[in-house]
Amino acid sequence: MLLSLLLLIPFLGALALILWPGSPSSARLRDVSIVLLVMQCLASFALLLPFDAADAGLQLVEQARWVRAIGLDYALALDGLSLPLVLMNGVLCLVAAISSRTIENRPRVYFALLLVISGAVNGAFLAQNLLLFFLFYELELIPLWLLIAVWGGANRAYAATKFLIVTAVSGVLILGAFLGIAFVTGTMDFSLRPILAGELGMTTQLVLMGALLIGFGIKIPLFPFHTWLPDAHTEASTPVSVLLAGVLLKLGTYGLLRFCLGLFPDAWQVAAPWLAGWAAISVLYGSLAAIAQSDMKRMVAYSSVGHMGYVLLAAAAATPLGLMGALFQMVSHGLISGVLFLVVGVVYAQTGTRDLNVLRGLLNPQRGLPLTGSLMIIGVMASAGIPGMAGFISEFLIFRGSLQPFPLATLLSMVGSGLTAVYFLLLVNRAFFGRLAIAPGEVVNPRILNRVALREQAPAIALSLGVLVLGLAPELLSNLSEAATTGLSLITGDMS
Amino acid sequence: MTIATTTELICFLVLSAVVVIGALGVVLLSNIVYSAFLLGGVFTAVAGLYLLLNASFVAMAQILVYVGAINVLILFAIMLVNKREDLKAIANLTTRRAVSAGVCAGLLALLVRVVVTTPWSLPGPPAVGEEATARIGEHLFTDYLLPFEVASVLLLMAMIGAIVLARRDVLATDVVTGEVADQGLIEKARTPLLMNRAE
Amino acid sequence: MTVGASSAATVAAAQRFQAAMPDMGASLLATQAMAAPGELLNLSLNASAVLPEAAVLLAMIATLLVDLAGEKVATRWVPPICYIGLGSSLVLLALQWNAPLEPSFLGAFLADNLAVAFRAVIALSTLLSLLISWRYAEKSGTPVGEYAAILLAATLGAMLLCGATDLVSVFISLETLSVASYLLSGYMKRDARSSEAALKYLLVGSAAAAVFLYGSSLLYGLSGSTSLDTIGLALQSSTTPLAALALVFVLATVAFKIAAVPFHQWTPDVYEGSPTPVVAFLSVGSKAAGFALALRILVGCFGAFDDQWKLLFTVLAVLSMTLGNVVALAQTSMKRMLAYSSIGQAGFVMIGMVCGTEDGFAAMVLYMAAYLFMNLGAFACIILFSIRTGSDRISDYAGLYQKDPLITLGLSLCLLSLGGIPPMLGFFGKIYLFFAGWANHQYLLVVVGLVTSVISIYYYISVIKMMVVKEPQEASDVVKAYPDVNWSLMGMQPLRVALIGCVAITAVGGILSNPLFQWANTAVAGTPLLQQAIALSSLKGLG
Repeated sequence: MLLSLLLLIPFLGALALILWPGSPSSARLRDVSIVLLVMQCLASFALLLPFDAADAGLQLVEQARWVRAIGLDYALALDGLSLPLVLMNGVLCLVAAISSRTIENRPRVYFALLLVISGAVNGAFLAQNLLLFFLFYELELIPLWLLIAVWGGANRAYAATKFLIVTAVSGVLILGAFLGIAFVTGTMDFSLRPILAGELGMTTQLVLMGALLIGFGIKIPLFPFHTWLPDAHTEASTPVSVLLAGVLLKLGTYGLLRFCLGLFPDAWQVAAPWLAGWAAISVLYGSLAAIAQSDMKRMVAYSSVGHMGYVLLAAAAATPLGLMGALFQMVSHGLISGVLFLVVGVVYAQTGTRDLNVLRGLLNPQRGLPLTGSLMIIGVMASAGIPGMAGFISEFLIFRGSLQPFPLATLLSMVGSGLTAVYFLLLVNRAFFGRLAIAPGEVVNPRILNRVALREQAPAIALSLGVLVLGLAPELLSNLSEAATTGLSLITGDMS
Repeated sequence: MTIATTTELICFLVLSAVVVIGALGVVLLSNIVYSAFLLGGVFTAVAGLYLLLNASFVAMAQILVYVGAINVLILFAIMLVNKREDLKAIANLTTRRAVSAGVCAGLLALLVRVVVTTPWSLPGPPAVGEEATARIGEHLFTDYLLPFEVASVLLLMAMIGAIVLARRDVLATDVVTGEVADQGLIEKARTPLLMNRAE
Repeated sequence: MTVGASSAATVAAAQRFQAAMPDMGASLLATQAMAAPGELLNLSLNASAVLPEAAVLLAMIATLLVDLAGEKVATRWVPPICYIGLGSSLVLLALQWNAPLEPSFLGAFLADNLAVAFRAVIALSTLLSLLISWRYAEKSGTPVGEYAAILLAATLGAMLLCGATDLVSVFISLETLSVASYLLSGYMKRDARSSEAALKYLLVGSAAAAVFLYGSSLLYGLSGSTSLDTIGLALQSSTTPLAALALVFVLATVAFKIAAVPFHQWTPDVYEGSPTPVVAFLSVGSKAAGFALALRILVGCFGAFDDQWKLLFTVLAVLSMTLGNVVALAQTSMKRMLAYSSIGQAGFVMIGMVCGTEDGFAAMVLYMAAYLFMNLGAFACIILFSIRTGSDRISDYAGLYQKDPLITLGLSLCLLSLGGIPPMLGFFGKIYLFFAGWANHQYLLVVVGLVTSVISIYYYISVIKMMVVKEPQEASDVVKAYPDVNWSLMGMQPLRVALIGCVAITAVGGILSNPLFQWANTAVAGTPLLQQAIALSSLKGLG
């Protein structure tokens, strides 16, 4: 029942917002949705109580027949892989709602869509039936499209449609693979169950897994399927960017671990060297492309492409340590990119630009944005993997876990990790250091920027604290998931 | 060969020749009045074929319905619309004719081949001769009752539809609001297709 | 093994099926072998099977009589008469559900579950089309009484077509449906577009009817009978080229009726020129009748030509899905866009037919039912929009959300459902079709279906984008001058009821779709014709 609560709260909440009588103000709607999301967040943290971290299997299973004819069951369950992601979804959706202060245009629809996304993502993380997962995976599509298309920047129509079509293609690939899994094995069964070696020819397995890989690779996104992400991020408003990077990309990596690795252990082993290579390319491409960007948001978006590549690398290695690192990376990337997007959002709101060629000296304590700048530096450090932050733990675990099976790919990814420091240093150096005004004719005049109220910084501060806490006490997370990731890796045989 | 079969064969050949030649005339003659009269001839000859097959009722129905009603109606239509109009010459008429002749010849060849190679379900039911009318009536009230009745609905509906389409409504209004209406599509924002293309 | 095969309903149906077969054989023998004079008259007609049609017929006659009293009286009384007629028809159909099978009219009609299901879809589509047409007809100044009568006649023809098991009945009911459709599409007689639509439809439709008649005559020549069962038996023993020719002719007619590419050319022009409520009926009711005819004739008669017609249908389905969905991208008129989309949707339904499995047929029935609600919901919205603005250009919908949230929400949900986005009803229907297709190894069809449904999402979404995303300052002129919403006019309330009903079922029906799935499965399980085909194809699969 607890798991269903995670779906009921957001979905019924969205319905309640739509049906809310009268014409409530934006602030009122925001308050209501914050209350709902706090409830959802509490409910997801309440999962920690009954959750047994030592058990690698499924817990709190809820199973009910839904549509028998197509084998669609309402099957929800929790394990160490999904629990951290559900927690992160709860936190980040709350953060997104709190930071949606400036939404004046159609707030009712906005907050309802936010709630729908949050519920759909919960559902996708908890679903134990392939079709149910697909249903939730597609369910988040239209709300997010609307969030970008209605509340986005100037070029939002193009970016939103691109996002929609590309993601719909990913959905189709995933559905095709799921149908294939159910029928080629002859079971007509959409429950999650690893496909054994003798059950299916290796070619068929590779084809099905390939379709899934590309489907999820679009969502993650991996090079060369990433082109929608920078556009979507650039046009989306700050809270939507937080959600997109923090939660929705994780659907892709979660699918990678749960369905590609989990269902096709043998085929995965065959494809692993290629996947590691793909991961390294994706990491290097993301990092190099980020260096070339002059828009702060685009730079952060490309950094996502790079950082998500690590997850593929770790998943390819499939060692217990690596998988733990992958999970850690998913969580820490969610938090870190949240911080980064929030800070970029504050900068944009204050200066009206995100162009690194224009911005100067924002850290200047007298006239700039000192607190914002500090938060940015924390985020950047975490992202670059400075010890003491969550990013370091995840990168260390990933590299440690995959160095032995794939030394070259891991080394290349390390180079990519070094490049992270390069482009983020560029960002901080240009936008935050230096004098406030460089030359006459700048867009940002050497005027004193308004002080940013503390409450507007609160979400970013909270997320940075989370980054620090996880960096200093990684066992908080690793204890939860160790059994699950170890269980997942053992399927592939002992490679560590 | 008895005299009966010989007579039958001769009748069949004559009637068939009338049907084929008449049908060709209907299609090929350029004067539509000739075509209409030839069509009447074809219908009558077909009725003769029915008689040869010992189906007197069908033959009578053929004459009454096709010759007596439909063909007369066609003639009426032709005479009422007695308007000489020079049609625009169609481009590449010869090529078009050649192509359609080719298609028709192909279809004919296909049909002939099929007819020759098919084991037809012969002999069909024995002819009932004198009794035919009674038997047809029987069928119309038993196993063909449904289509028989539906046909009456079809005719009723077609009649109503024809009246509605042909009736001259002098002034059309919206019954509820009393506003003047034009009996056209509500969606005015588009241009008619044919007129558009003709320009 | 199929998923639903183990259900108790199937077992019961199979028993009934076996029980029914000897009866049918006996009565067929009675009709086909020339019985002694007068003997036929003593056989029971079992005419109660067409009671639902009789209700429709009574409503039609009552409508015509009421119409004699003048236009004002007609406007007041015709709607309730139609509701009562179609409502009682639906109730009578419900009573026939799972009833013991007995051929009526000595083998001219059979009310098996398939027929009942499709007739219910048709009657419901007429009911909904009528609900949304009153205001449209009144505003255009066309007589309402005759409109309803002709539409009811079309319904009568379509419903009989679903259960007809005799070539003569099939042809007459097909013609009743077709002639009524021609009349309806030309009903706005002062409008050149409407007349053009009617003319085109008439010419192409008559050609199709002639081709069908030719094919039927060949079938009669082969078998010496007009009964579909006997023809089926005869074709099994003689698979001659002639039978193949007859197959092609019949198939062309079926394809014309369901508007499958390349027999679709009439669709866009007819849909654009016909009155919009008529288009709503044509796109659902007429299409459902076409599919019922396809099942009766192709599955019932041409079992021996299974591979051939399935191959042809595969080609038709691939072409329909591809062309329908791709060309729909370029449309600027809402009706034309829906016309092409309906071509694509017919392609999806054909996947189920090609499968020929229990799930395939059930998916067809289910998708037709789902299509009924989502398509008519969409039509209700665009009719409401055109009544208020006099336009059906897609670009005129820009910025509508501010002026009319009801249309915006309803149309968005219906279009999303047509595009197969969860959790709408259309998603479940489509996934069932793909499920059945994949289970039957129709990979090409499923892959094409998946790809084209992404394409379809694009054009459905662009309408939603028009309505929802455009800001008030970007709104079109007609939306800026949008009249105040007035529901009190006569004919507006039914429209609202139909709109809200369809949209609600489309939106919630997916989540609660299990009964609908069971209904579709029972429809297939209670149909001896389909069970035979399924048994045959599974035997083939084994051997």
